[in-house]
Amino acid sequence: MNTFIRKNLVLLIILTVLAALFIAAAQGMDNQDFVITLLRGLSVGSVTFLVASGFSLIFGLLDVLNLAHGTLFMIGAYIGWTVYVRPDTFVDLLTPFALTLSGFALRDVYPLLSAPKPVPARMKRILPWALILVSLLIFGYILPRYPIAIWNVENYAQSPVTYAFMTDQGTRLPFPVVAFDRISPILAVIGLPFASILGTFALSLFQRNTEHAIRTTWKSFIGFALLLIIALVGFIFNDTLTQSLAALNSNWLFFTAIVAATLSGAGLGALMEATLIRPLYSRPIYQLMLTLGMSAVGIEMVRAVWGRPEFVMPKPAFFDGAGEACPATTFADWWANKCSTILLLDGRVRVYNEIFIPLVGIVVLIAVWMLLQRTRLGMVIRAGVQDREMVEALGINVRRVFTMVFALGVGLAALGGILAAPSMGLSNVMGESLFLNALIALAIGGLTNYPGAALGSVLVGLMQQFIIKYGQIGIPIPFTEILFKPTPPLVPASTVLLMVIILLILPNGLLGKKE
Amino acid sequence: METILDVQNIHTFIGQYHILQGVDVRVPKGSITALLGRNGAGKTTTLKSILGLTPPREGKVNFEGRDVQGMRSFDIAALGIGFVPEHRAIFRDLTVEENLKLAERKKDDYNCKREFIFELFPDLKRLIALPGTSLSGGQQQMLAIARALVADNRLLLIDEPSEGLAPVIIEHMMSAIRQLSKETTIILVEQNFLVASQLAEQYVIIEEGRSVKSGAMKDLVNDKAAIHRYLGAA
Repeated sequence: MNTFIRKNLVLLIILTVLAALFIAAAQGMDNQDFVITLLRGLSVGSVTFLVASGFSLIFGLLDVLNLAHGTLFMIGAYIGWTVYVRPDTFVDLLTPFALTLSGFALRDVYPLLSAPKPVPARMKRILPWALILVSLLIFGYILPRYPIAIWNVENYAQSPVTYAFMTDQGTRLPFPVVAFDRISPILAVIGLPFASILGTFALSLFQRNTEHAIRTTWKSFIGFALLLIIALVGFIFNDTLTQSLAALNSNWLFFTAIVAATLSGAGLGALMEATLIRPLYSRPIYQLMLTLGMSAVGIEMVRAVWGRPEFVMPKPAFFDGAGEACPATTFADWWANKCSTILLLDGRVRVYNEIFIPLVGIVVLIAVWMLLQRTRLGMVIRAGVQDREMVEALGINVRRVFTMVFALGVGLAALGGILAAPSMGLSNVMGESLFLNALIALAIGGLTNYPGAALGSVLVGLMQQFIIKYGQIGIPIPFTEILFKPTPPLVPASTVLLMVIILLILPNGLLGKKE
Repeated sequence: METILDVQNIHTFIGQYHILQGVDVRVPKGSITALLGRNGAGKTTTLKSILGLTPPREGKVNFEGRDVQGMRSFDIAALGIGFVPEHRAIFRDLTVEENLKLAERKKDDYNCKREFIFELFPDLKRLIALPGTSLSGGQQQMLAIARALVADNRLLLIDEPSEGLAPVIIEHMMSAIRQLSKETTIILVEQNFLVASQLAEQYVIIEEGRSVKSGAMKDLVNDKAAIHRYLGAA
């Protein structure tokens, strides 16, 4: 025990100072203010943690600084919003999306097709480009003609803003009806996977020299089959799916939105890693440029599809009730009315923002911790963070684990996005400030340390919320009459200051290990 | 004797440096072969090239009758090659048991082999729950070798097992390696000629990225001129 104290003396001193500051801050305000500020801090900290933990897992194992993480957080929110407010669009998109991606799932099969036949050198050079061209032409013909019920960004009455507002008011605008009138449905369903296979096969021809000994088994077809099944289910049961989603009560629909956003995020992450990041593992600078560029591209794509204006994500009924007994003071009252606010130590606390989000944060914290500590995948990740080459030398396919970790990290960010959407609202730039928060949290906690990410995120969240609160009530400066009110620009500055101080004392962050 | 590994004229580049410029190694099944040579001669790179960690650009690597050059390194290792790297590469954040379990390729590999491993290295048994960080150098070396034994490996590549260890522990390590060689084939990279000459039956001398001399160890021991010329030792 003594050695533990001696080894971690600096850390313990810092934590003590932080705790003392925290208590001092608590003394300076009313009980109700304190409870609210504390819970808000935890809430912001939880969302920050979802972004930060994914980012740090990816950085730790893959050495990739994924600068697009904030954008992916935002995209998660927009996907979740679409499922929640416009389930018809989501269902319509399912089939073309799955079919377009289906070719990627056959990656391990292509070497089998391309390896043995000797081809003339000129053919070898022309063939991939010709295939890509054909594939793009087919996509270009089918995709614009594929019927997808969507909003109209140009027309205010049919814009996402209006849909969001009306849903929030409790009325659902009728969904536009679309049908296969510009293209034959059979042509579309057969053409898309065909073009996808052509295109991805051509891409695989470019890199056939490096990996010619992949073993093709029935497992190589699982992903392809899965995507086809998703696509066909979405195609055949399109109307049924839309209607049953729209008929769901808002709680289940919200739950579906969370699951869909998280899974879409994970899928997006896996795709990103397999196609864009993987060729650049040996070129870190290119990776930075790539992810930075993707972040900009992502924001512009969201602007093109959902439009620029901000809009709301309605809260599900479970967190949005009102009644005579609201704000609830007892659990029974709250349960009976599903009050949107409760009274805690005389403070009005919003159930969704200040109770639900931190709870999800804690659940994710524990779940990922269990994954890391108790499963074989977690063992491989922890080992791989330290020494990738040795893990490979044990005969473990680290690259597959890379893809999984990237998917996991992006999935967590997307989960953060959809969770934050009802409290923050949706905007194109919602990811940016949060991403900055997450980076600061990681610097404070220790870059690749998982508990450190949690600690840093909570510290950042608390710091911000306390400064905001003190901006309203003011800090009395001792021995003077002056009341110091931190202005809004001081809020982000305060977290940076906290980071600077901690890094000056502990250059590896609070829980980071020395290299 | 049957050949388990046949390395023919491999050329390996690291970055733009031409590290291996033609290395041949033939390893008969069930023997210990030592790779000898001075610092920086390319012994470790040869091991890594066999495993595909630094893939050779030219030449052939044949393991159990199968050409493996160009395969992904984890696929090569999964064919049945165990690697004990220089500096041991113990996973610090994993316990001793987790380090061993990580090396499983089939379920229950660890449970099947644990008796054998603990018989060979009794020390590991009491350290089983400790994190990799808290092991001494000798214990780390034992764990590194034990880790290569968990899966069903027919060939072990052991890099500098005696480096930085006390003489008593080197003795222990040598007897363990000798015992292992009864069941598997071993390629040993060793700076300490005394250790190498007592363990190995064959040798390959690598100098400036080329294999320059090979044969039976008992011939080399008597060839003082060659030892002096290639290894700088008396």
